[in-house]
Amino acid sequence: MQEKVEAQNILSMNSVEVLYDNVMLAIKGVSVQVPKGEMIALLGSNGAGKSTTLKAISGLLKAERGRISRGEITFQGTDITEALAQKRVEMGICHVIEGRRVFEHLTPDENLTAAAPRGMSRSTLNAEKEKIYGYFPRLAERKNSQAGYLSGGEQQMLAIGRALVTQPKLLMLDEPSLGLAPFLVEEIFGILQKINKDEGLSVLLVEQNALAALEIVSQGYLIENGRVVMHGTAEALKSNSDIQEFYLGGGETDFHNVKHYSRRKRWLS
Amino acid sequence: MDWVFLSELAINGALTGLLYSLFAIGLVLIYKASSVPNLAQGGLTMVGAYVVLALARDVGLPLWLAIPLAAVVMLGLGFGIERVALRRLAGRPVVMILMLTLGLDIFLRGTTLAIWGGTSRSMELGVSYDPLFLGDIFISRIHLVGAGVALALFVAFMLFFRTRTGIKLRAIADDYMASWSVGIAVERGVGLSWALASVVAVAAGVIWGEIQGVDQALSLLLLKGLTVAVLGGLDSILGAVIAGIILGVVENVGADFLDPLVGGGSRELIVAAVLILTVMIRPHGLFGRHDIERV
Repeated sequence: MQEKVEAQNILSMNSVEVLYDNVMLAIKGVSVQVPKGEMIALLGSNGAGKSTTLKAISGLLKAERGRISRGEITFQGTDITEALAQKRVEMGICHVIEGRRVFEHLTPDENLTAAAPRGMSRSTLNAEKEKIYGYFPRLAERKNSQAGYLSGGEQQMLAIGRALVTQPKLLMLDEPSLGLAPFLVEEIFGILQKINKDEGLSVLLVEQNALAALEIVSQGYLIENGRVVMHGTAEALKSNSDIQEFYLGGGETDFHNVKHYSRRKRWLS
Repeated sequence: MDWVFLSELAINGALTGLLYSLFAIGLVLIYKASSVPNLAQGGLTMVGAYVVLALARDVGLPLWLAIPLAAVVMLGLGFGIERVALRRLAGRPVVMILMLTLGLDIFLRGTTLAIWGGTSRSMELGVSYDPLFLGDIFISRIHLVGAGVALALFVAFMLFFRTRTGIKLRAIADDYMASWSVGIAVERGVGLSWALASVVAVAAGVIWGEIQGVDQALSLLLLKGLTVAVLGGLDSILGAVIAGIILGVVENVGADFLDPLVGGGSRELIVAAVLILTVMIRPHGLFGRHDIERV
């Protein structure tokens, strides 16, 4: 039984604690499982620990002087808790970091080339590029302009495309919707869904835009104050009244009669 | 106005300028990958020249073999510097790395002084000192050779930065974090840029060693090299070449006008003025990238 669960989860993160600068506890025992081929969302407000969770998985903590002080992370059954970021990319984990961060002074085409794994042949790289331009036709149109001058949406597409060149098995995205118009969010999420379906790519999505995220994922985790406070299927989370009120901005709030003291994030105390 | 004399000044100034470019290309290579002006480039150039001499005189190899061998040695030194000193500074403030390169420069000067002493040695490349006449204009052969080497390296690096490895180096220069996130070996890239700059240092060391002798003074080329690199934009190889020519011409022609007025020594003043004015008026130089801000 245990083995079967292991085999189903491409990523398993167990009670992970992260320290920054050896003092600041950023996440306090987070456990997240990503089943193979599924899309999972990490939801929560600013500073809740979502980005830190992703960095713990991708190994980018080290660049910010953070480290995993407790717990373990396994990817496809291999313990990667101590592995270097570069090694994790080779194994198939790619992290689209927050704020897009394309290589601004390179062209989109060069951005894709830069991410090519070592030893990837020219023909494989070109095939990968063609595939990515297929997913994001807007990138193909602008592939030889300077990436720094692309629009926000195009830069996000480029950041995702650049991650895809590494041929990931698990793609992690940190707030891809940040600062984008709703129709662009819809377009990008739609493409993510398509890639997930077509290639069986597992996706771990960090979002503040819970409404958009819960539309495309199968399960969600709610993180607050460095802890997982709720976990369930997308359907269950969407119908949860607390989630509706605090993260989806819906519910039946009548702003004339709202009683501020009566509703609070009970799970925080 | 004596036009022949003026064009002789300009042409020889341009050739000397290309020799500054030869030096500045090394600075640009490191700046492109680590965003740090390498204050040890002068020291590296001096060591490059000393290593060539050590292999040619002390070991007794012919120069055509000693120079490429020295390049290999310096390649190793460049990788070594990254491995031993820079790796632990990755992600730290740039000023720390700047101080490290300054310390490295002092260290390299001290080492060469301890090993080879302070007396100037000659390179003896075997380039003739007979004057070369272009019409009525006198041109120095060694300067011509050096300018050719600078242009050859320029072309080689322009091509290199279009290769996959070169693109990865440019990506590293743009954004360390994003480079890590897609699995680029940032540390190895920075090491490679130091290694290439060290090889350039051999070329600059040989040419300048031939011109002014091999001694500690070679490391002072840093001042002119840095001026050229800043004027060119610090991260542009094309900029380094063009800025070198500009500085060389301005320095040579300007000094001819100014020297009688101030009684000599105006070259240094011109170089200093160019450096200061560039930083004040056009901080990203002629061809440097500005940080892109979309409105």
